[in-house]
Amino acid sequence: MTAADREPVLVVEDVVAGYGDVKVLDGISLTVDAGEIVTVLGATGSGKSTLLRCIVGLLPPWEGRVLINGRDVNAAGTEEREEILREVGMAFQEAALLSSMTTAENVALPIVEHWHADEETALMLARMRLGRVGLGRAGDKMPAELSGGMRKRAGIARAIALEPRLLLLDEPSAGLDPTTARAIDELILGLKARGDMAIVAVTHEVASINTIADRALMLADGAIIACGTLAEVHASAEPRVQAFFRRELVESAETTSLVDELEWKA
Amino acid sequence: MTPEPIRVPLPGALAADAHRAVRGALRAEPRDAPLVLDCGALGALDALGAARLLRLVDEVRQTGREARLANLSEAARRTLAEVDPAILAHEPAPPRHPLEIVGGRALDAVDAVASMQRLAGATFLGLARPFGHRGIKWDRTLRQMTLVGVEAVWIVFFISLLVGVVLALNGATQLRQFGATIFIANLVGISMTREMGPLLTAVIVAGRSGSAIAAEIGSMVISEEIDAMRTMALSPIRFLVVPKVLALIIMMPFLTVISNLAGIGGGYAVGVIGLDLGSDAYLSQTVQSLFISDVMTGLVKSVVFGLIIGLVGVYRGFSVRGGPEEVGRVTTAAVVTSIVLCIVANACFTALFYFTG
Repeated sequence: MTAADREPVLVVEDVVAGYGDVKVLDGISLTVDAGEIVTVLGATGSGKSTLLRCIVGLLPPWEGRVLINGRDVNAAGTEEREEILREVGMAFQEAALLSSMTTAENVALPIVEHWHADEETALMLARMRLGRVGLGRAGDKMPAELSGGMRKRAGIARAIALEPRLLLLDEPSAGLDPTTARAIDELILGLKARGDMAIVAVTHEVASINTIADRALMLADGAIIACGTLAEVHASAEPRVQAFFRRELVESAETTSLVDELEWKA
Repeated sequence: MTPEPIRVPLPGALAADAHRAVRGALRAEPRDAPLVLDCGALGALDALGAARLLRLVDEVRQTGREARLANLSEAARRTLAEVDPAILAHEPAPPRHPLEIVGGRALDAVDAVASMQRLAGATFLGLARPFGHRGIKWDRTLRQMTLVGVEAVWIVFFISLLVGVVLALNGATQLRQFGATIFIANLVGISMTREMGPLLTAVIVAGRSGSAIAAEIGSMVISEEIDAMRTMALSPIRFLVVPKVLALIIMMPFLTVISNLAGIGGGYAVGVIGLDLGSDAYLSQTVQSLFISDVMTGLVKSVVFGLIIGLVGVYRGFSVRGGPEEVGRVTTAAVVTSIVLCIVANACFTALFYFTG
């Protein structure tokens, strides 16, 4: 095993980031090794997707840094950045397939560009990737002809097209029927079993978390409120973590009703 | 000591003009006295009534006064209990000074120029690498050439033909008085090749292709396709921008030549059919009146117009923020900006060629 194999695939160090003047992430740190699945949990708007955007360089952090295979994605020049990102696959929440191409052409695009395969070979490999997510017959369809779940799976097929060392999944099983969601979980576990891929999955699907996660990180208001192995996070005393796993509403002690606030008391 | 509250009885039904009931009370002294809105006559409160009541509360609070409710019925309490108290916690936006608005617009304009410069710089770098793995995507460029050029031939031809006819008819009215109708050939030939051909083509292409470029890229921005390309280490400049801009630069001169010929053809038809000028005489007069420099001037302009239309369309597309309605707005803006910049550039060229002979 070389030194490069032993170092973490992803290191996020004290990242602070946001949009405009609004801080969304506040001091996030995370390390992910090869052969490991880390799930990022949290309520809607807690900063999960923003963390993925920071990792992949779409949103440069205000402070801190992101290292992928030991290289800082935000400090890299254009060509080095391309080299770094070739080792990263990202599946977007809404798939973000290029609408002017067929599904197979979407998956073949990075293969043609980065592996310099001829178009026919790339399309064949693309169909193989699509087959892995159960879309072997959908290669010739345009993205607009696919259902939401099929688009999501096609997005995952594109993300794994180049067999990346770091796979980022934004809500991979949200909105899917239980059978398809289970198939996606199995696919993710299969990718992990190869041993050389680090996977970060943003999700709030409790069933999926319990199936795939080695470690979990829970965000609330842009900060980490729980981090550790799945068992450690389950055992967290933090009320928001408990509420998340029990699918309960978090009642704030400060909550007052509008009538209490507005009613005149002489 | 808290001042005595001012009690405002609300009418039995909160109509759309219910706010008038509290307007007078807002002027009452002392200014720091809370307003108590007496809801005794309201009875039950439906969702619309609750919205009107809370709008009153909000309006009072915006003036800095405290607003409270009294004599709420049980039914009204149940309706209000479902409302999140946070909706009344928003801070009103501070009023902006006119100078601040003007300054903000000026800074936005400076940012826009800087962004456009960066985009143009990246595009020129992309154009400077014609071949190789990181070079121009020629397959995409050819596809774009078909879209922006080949598919625009008929519309350019048709409109230019009609413009040539109109130029000739208008010229004939004046030139006939001097017995110089043959000079219609000069008028149409020089006007079309120097000014009208390139400018007409630019206006048509801006409306047809500039808008399409802005809409396509804008849609890709809001559906995260551009972000997806970046995460795949695929440069949107190389994949999207360079093929579109290059296609426009290549096809604009061809379309301009078609526009010139169609316009001259329109003038020829009027001259030969309508004014009984001889065919040979008209053509010979046209050839004699035109210098190669006239044609070349128009073609040079058309290349610059193509560059302007491409860069503006792409820039507007990338500037989309928000939802689909923003795509429509930037599409219109792309066409308007392209046409204005093309006309400005045309005026600069004309002045330059005039003063340099």
